[in-house]
Amino acid sequence: MAVARERVLELMKTQCRVFNTTFNPNGVRMGSRILHERLKGDAVASYYPPRIGTIKQLRSLYPEHTVIDEKEEDWVEHLTIAKSRGKENPKKKRTAAESKKFSKKR
Amino acid sequence: MAQFKAKMLDIGCFAHTRNIRDHTKRKVFAANEPERQALRYIIRNTTLPQRVRAQAQLQLSQMHCYTRFTQVKNRCIMGGKGRGVFSDFRLGRFQFRMNALAGELPGVRKASW
Repeated sequence: MAVARERVLELMKTQCRVFNTTFNPNGVRMGSRILHERLKGDAVASYYPPRIGTIKQLRSLYPEHTVIDEKEEDWVEHLTIAKSRGKENPKKKRTAAESKKFSKKR
Repeated sequence: MAQFKAKMLDIGCFAHTRNIRDHTKRKVFAANEPERQALRYIIRNTTLPQRVRAQAQLQLSQMHCYTRFTQVKNRCIMGGKGRGVFSDFRLGRFQFRMNALAGELPGVRKASW
């Protein structure tokens, strides 16, 4: 015995309501396929391992401890030595008169 | 592109320029994925007005190329190679061999029969 089309549609409608899907008896393209796709951005972005254990991170994680950065210390030491020998960077020029590069020196 | 690049090095593996660039692309893709999917939904949905769909098409085509997934490439995380990379281990074939022989990849052993 053939089932009436209305009855089948009714069943489909109920099915859609129960399983929370879109009622679309004519098969119209509604793009719901794209809404069903999972977002893969997080998995894609975590391909490369993150950089961990840098001095900056350690300092922010453990503010109660003093983390020594040897490279920075060497650099500061080099700067202080250069300064004591009068070899530091030239002072920033603040006015136009000071910054005249090719002004004649007398 | 320079506007997306991280100011500080933020990957802990082999830091080849191309690896850094690929990482940048991945981050940009992840940030823009919902927007792209929304636009794709509008374009595919035939019940929406044609004008709206055309506008969405235009907007999608005008997004930056770094927001596209096809820009992303799996590269070796220990040698930076772009070809012959095992995606399960994220290693190039030679790096894979060296690490596997050294016993650093759990569950991998040399076949012998």
